[in-house]
Amino acid sequence: MSRPDLLTITGARIAYSPDRAAVDGVDLSLKCGQVTALLGPSGSGKSTLLRAIAGLEALNAGDVKFGEEVWSGDGVHKAPETRRCGVVFQDYALFPHLSALDNVAFGLRSLSRADRRKRAQAQLDGVELGDRAKAFPHELSGGEQQRVALARALATNPDVMLLDEPFSGLDRRLRSALRDTTASALKASGAATLIVTHDADEALSLADTIALMTEGRIIQVGAPDALYLKPNSIAAARLLGDAEVFSATVSGHSVEIALGLIDTPALDQDTNVDVIIRPEGIGVSADPSSGTAAVVTERRLAGGHARLSCQLDTGRVVQARVNLTERASVGQQVWLTLDPHFVSVVASE
Amino acid sequence: MTGQLAPSWPAAIAALICAAPLITVAALGVFGPWTDYMAHIASTRLPAYLTNTAAVTAIAALIALLIGAPLAWIVARFEFAGRGIMEWALALPLAVPAYAAAYAWYDLTQGAGPLGFLPTVRGPIGAGLIFALTLYPYVYLLAREAYAGQSSDAYDAARTLGRGPFGAFLDAALPLARPAIAAGLALVVMETLADYGAVAHLGAPTLSVGLIRAWSAEGSIADAARLALILVTIAFVLFAYERAQRRRARQSAASGRRRPAQRVKLGFGPGLLALLACVTPVMLGLVIPLARLGWRALSSPTNRSMVEAAGNSLLLAAISGLVAAALGLAAAYALRSGRRRAILSARLAGLGYAVPGSVAALGVLILLGLFQDGLDQVWTGLFGSAFPVLLSGGVVALVFAYQSRFAAAAIGPAEAALNRVTPTLDAAARSLGARSREIAWRVHWPLVASGALLAGLLVFVEVLKELPATMILRPFNFDTLAVTAHNYASDERLGEAALPALLIALIALPPMVWIARRITRSEQS
Repeated sequence: MSRPDLLTITGARIAYSPDRAAVDGVDLSLKCGQVTALLGPSGSGKSTLLRAIAGLEALNAGDVKFGEEVWSGDGVHKAPETRRCGVVFQDYALFPHLSALDNVAFGLRSLSRADRRKRAQAQLDGVELGDRAKAFPHELSGGEQQRVALARALATNPDVMLLDEPFSGLDRRLRSALRDTTASALKASGAATLIVTHDADEALSLADTIALMTEGRIIQVGAPDALYLKPNSIAAARLLGDAEVFSATVSGHSVEIALGLIDTPALDQDTNVDVIIRPEGIGVSADPSSGTAAVVTERRLAGGHARLSCQLDTGRVVQARVNLTERASVGQQVWLTLDPHFVSVVASE
Repeated sequence: MTGQLAPSWPAAIAALICAAPLITVAALGVFGPWTDYMAHIASTRLPAYLTNTAAVTAIAALIALLIGAPLAWIVARFEFAGRGIMEWALALPLAVPAYAAAYAWYDLTQGAGPLGFLPTVRGPIGAGLIFALTLYPYVYLLAREAYAGQSSDAYDAARTLGRGPFGAFLDAALPLARPAIAAGLALVVMETLADYGAVAHLGAPTLSVGLIRAWSAEGSIADAARLALILVTIAFVLFAYERAQRRRARQSAASGRRRPAQRVKLGFGPGLLALLACVTPVMLGLVIPLARLGWRALSSPTNRSMVEAAGNSLLLAAISGLVAAALGLAAAYALRSGRRRAILSARLAGLGYAVPGSVAALGVLILLGLFQDGLDQVWTGLFGSAFPVLLSGGVVALVFAYQSRFAAAAIGPAEAALNRVTPTLDAAARSLGARSREIAWRVHWPLVASGALLAGLLVFVEVLKELPATMILRPFNFDTLAVTAHNYASDERLGEAALPALLIALIALPPMVWIARRITRSEQS
């Protein structure tokens, strides 16, 4: 039988007390060669789920299977050391009494001493740390520690790679550089990868698939762009970025909100809905014929964009994210347009 | 750092108090008059002193390691019924002086004793065992701190990298705690070196017994000083080792953020075993010895009241505790100041911990002798007669010697407490218009008070138990509980020695409970 290519989690539940579950009925699958990001606020149970996959936490219900092999569930709990999971811990958990090379070689016990060192050195080279092999963890910078931890986890050639907030301790610039190194190292390994993070940008830029988690549950899974453009709930929308939300009721095959009419072919008459609009979906124009009248009340820079606060006639203020070249200034009358690609209509909860 | 409140002159006084006795001992040891005695014992008893010292300390360290390190791991990483109590109760045998445990265990296991079927606790092996049972808490406390402070991630990482539970303990958890364990063992050995009562009673005379014999039987302070120099040299090597290991321990703890280790819940059977493992050393080091002493005390009426001796013990311990807390704070402020001379003073004061009590007492004795000589000469010049005997062996001399040995124990807690007072707190207080005195009173004191109390109580307990320095320096007819117990015990009157020995432990126990609970609690937060 060839190597299985799928890790499946079904109905996973972990509860420290009877009334509150940290992980509450999670279904998720990880494909080999693919990176899945588990995105959620702190305390949502992401790290607990990761630890359960590694075998560091026991499930109260549900199961974790790699291919046909049960890792957790049905009274089975395969010990962490037998799961072939590589883990990069949030604090990296480097062994302070071992050099970078010995840290990486720690898991390679089946090899001869010489092979072990060769392999560990190759792994360090792979994360561009070949020249720091002799350094001890406290002599390494935060970014270097992170890469040693990555190399150590990859060295055993694991089937599943689990990364717990791998960039959270690092500054912004370092982060984006490390993301690229990490992403290519993970791709090259062919392992099924799960990255736990609370940073939407990180999830969007690293992952093939994103799973959104709040309060122990997974609320939506999908490709990054699909998830960004078409969130299935307000909570899902907010996890990935800013959004304007309007409440409305379906009338015919559309809903009407302050910014105009939106088609809703799939929804029944009189359904109460939330219309979720990404700030990129709101355009600003000087042409009165093209949209809804508004007055610019504030202009701020955000990233490479300008964020305009615009007050509608109803008094409601909405945020539009526009090109820096858009010169509309505070106090100016503008007309707002809507790009349906950035609009998602979901039934109210 | 400007504007920071950190006076350094008190540290210089602390350093002087702590270092002066040691310096005089060294000077006398090197330059003092040579007698035949030294040559005599070098060929007769010295080899036995040295082998006993080596054997007793090695056995004490080995057994203390085997008790302290695994129990620390169990308490830090597993959850079981009674764990919360055992966590601090395991430290309580520190309240029992080694000689008290030695009296009790010897009495229990001698031929006619209730446990006479066991090998009698005596000789180097018995003494080593007694020290291990009363001193293992040093290893336990430091190792527990290391395990509890350890992020469980290192252990978990080892598991995900292919180690089983025991392999992960050996390869990941234990190496991280090794410096702490080594530091704890160094403390055990230093205390063992300093002991006099237990080794004298159990017939395993170590260097410290030799030193006291040279002084009391031969009256040769210079020869006692020479033996002291050997003892101090060994202690200093250990002391340097302990400091180096602690530095390493801090270094290993410094990596990454901490994720408090979740304790693993044990089932009923394993939980009971863990509890049993924790209860055993407390029984052997605390409960059984005290029960035996209590029984002996009740069944043999003591003809002398212990009130006076108890009063003397309490007086000395209380004064010493107060003074040590003050000196400890002084040294901590010196370290805070960052000025090189101040730090040197504080470190010098810290060296005192390596100086056995008998050596400190000897140093004080020599200093007082010099002082008296000086006064006599001046007095004779002025009035033609010798100066009245003034200072030799008063309470002041005793407190002086205790400080030189124990003030160092007060530096650590004071330093830890003062670490909470960050420089920005001073800056904030100043920016809000507070003057130095106000900062000291309204900001520093509330933050360091409990640390100062901890320091004072630690020294209180140590002084209560102290024997050799007290024997050497106590004024005529001034008996403490420790001296009373020792005098009876050395006359083979164990029934009468039981009450004072028991009283020491009973007085030391409440502060020890407080200390143990505080130490174990503070690391959790």
